[in-house]
Amino acid sequence: MSGDAGKESRVIKTEKLRKQFGDLVAVSGLNLEIEKGQLYGLIGPNGSGKTTVIKMLVGLLRPTSGKAQVLGESVPVKESIAKMGYMPQEMAIYSDLTVHENIELFGQLYSMGSESLEKRENELLKMVDLSGRRDSLVAHLSGGMKHRVSLACALIHDPEVVFLDEPTVGVDPELRAGFWEYFANLKASGKTIVLTTHYMDEAVRCDTVGMMRTGDLIGEGSPKDLMRTASAPDLESAFLNFARRPAI
Amino acid sequence: MRLDRVLAIARKNLRGLKHDKRTVGFLVLMPLLMITIFGYTFGGDVKNLSVYVVNLDDGSVSYSITDDLRTRETLDVNVIYSQSTPLIDPVAYSIDKVKDAEICAAIIFGQNFTRDVRSATANLKNGTLVPPGSFSVYIDGTNPNIVTAVMNDLQISIQKILTSADFGIRSPIVVSPILVYGQGAEFIDFFAPGVMGLAAMMVTFMLSIISFVHERSGFTLDRLLSTPVTEGEIVAGYALAFGFVALVQSVVILLAAIGLFGITVQGNILLVLLMIFIFGIGSQGLGFLLSSVARTEFQAVQFLPLILFPSILLSGVFWPLEAVPLILRPISYFIPLTYAVEGLRSVMIRGWGLDGIWLQLSVLVAFAVVMLLLSTWALKRRK
Repeated sequence: MSGDAGKESRVIKTEKLRKQFGDLVAVSGLNLEIEKGQLYGLIGPNGSGKTTVIKMLVGLLRPTSGKAQVLGESVPVKESIAKMGYMPQEMAIYSDLTVHENIELFGQLYSMGSESLEKRENELLKMVDLSGRRDSLVAHLSGGMKHRVSLACALIHDPEVVFLDEPTVGVDPELRAGFWEYFANLKASGKTIVLTTHYMDEAVRCDTVGMMRTGDLIGEGSPKDLMRTASAPDLESAFLNFARRPAI
Repeated sequence: MRLDRVLAIARKNLRGLKHDKRTVGFLVLMPLLMITIFGYTFGGDVKNLSVYVVNLDDGSVSYSITDDLRTRETLDVNVIYSQSTPLIDPVAYSIDKVKDAEICAAIIFGQNFTRDVRSATANLKNGTLVPPGSFSVYIDGTNPNIVTAVMNDLQISIQKILTSADFGIRSPIVVSPILVYGQGAEFIDFFAPGVMGLAAMMVTFMLSIISFVHERSGFTLDRLLSTPVTEGEIVAGYALAFGFVALVQSVVILLAAIGLFGITVQGNILLVLLMIFIFGIGSQGLGFLLSSVARTEFQAVQFLPLILFPSILLSGVFWPLEAVPLILRPISYFIPLTYAVEGLRSVMIRGWGLDGIWLQLSVLVAFAVVMLLLSTWALKRRK
């Protein structure tokens, strides 16, 4: 996968990526390029295809047509999967296991050695402020705590690219602020983050925003550029403006 | 396939069980309850059947028979006398009791019973045929097992009286059964291997179908599949965990059957456990496979009777395969439990080794392999 300098800094690239479920076109011919170290936000209403894009990128769904590359490898390839972290929209952790057992499971699935796993687990528990609840059953935790466990599971193997699908849905404002602090720290440490959200006030914090509507990318750029192009005071108005234009 | 990831999935399933004390209790108690209840219900002979005897006989033979019946526990004998107060007709009274299903049978000895028996015996020795001494048994035929038990017990007593010094009649034919296998075996010895197979199937099937539906509906499956773990490793991890659960259960059943009912295992106990482990893997694989067509736990549970009933009725758990009607028997040979039960019985009662059960073991291995491959395929095609 050698290439020019631009290609090397490009972590994610899709070409005419399409996914169809029966007659329903969930994603139609998506062209996406995400650079290393970016915080990229896919925004759009429910059913716009954001989650389907993420699922194709992490290898959970096979594209109907088109190409998707993550870290230079066509997905789904298990080699590149090992360098990705994924936090699904649903918390998707085991409520019948403890916090430690959940994190340990995911570390083991990435074949981490017990020493490095323990070290990383302690770091993450500190980061998500759950060190005191290490041995609590997940079923006994609050919704916000479960979200934090889910994030820790996605980051246990220190991935290069992190996919976060609606990470702040159902999360209280204080925790949301905390989450965005984590994301900023991750970005500062050189990780690439792709997240989906339908909170426009969150999306403005992204480096680049991709606006999706009914499977199409209708606009892409930095939040400032998008607002300027649409002559809109905020991202929500910009989105509505772009929604009236043809897809890019 | 990486062993560390397979073990991680297996450990996850067992840890989940460990935290769920109620399910662990169920997993241990259910087979214990099964072997205990079935063992006591089916294992013993029929006992204490309530029977009335009306004795109008002038002689002593009827008394000898009645006394002999009382030496065993099969019948609970009550003699009805005509001198009871208020005065009753003992024959009509006893028959009414049978009709009201309050007693199982009424045995009526007529006035000339002893005289007829003695006359028939004397004439038999002379070579003359005269009508034999007879008595009537009014019996509730609702349950054929009870009819057989009453009639067998009467036959034993009659045989005893006729061979006694009083009559001295010896049968000219004696059958000597020589048990090739199962010396001293009781019904529970036949039954325990069946319960072990059945419990292994029920529990592993149920655990895997419900766990996996839960895994999908809770989106943890998506999460697993977004890691380097492969579909085959997930399937193998499940098989390892629930195969182990089947093993533990079998040990519980074996210990209960040995402790409570004194069964003996003639063959190699490791071979018994190996068969259970392989059969457990196959059964959980079936659950895993069927979980792909169930969307909720409720839908998953609906598969249980569909799989269990034919298996219970047609696989020889409760009665020999030979008792299954010919028209249904081909189905029996398509049910893996049939081979598990037959293989387990061959090791536990006949004491056979690998050379004796290679067919059953091969079928169980094939069942497990096919289920694991199909489960992996079903997981892969969901993309």
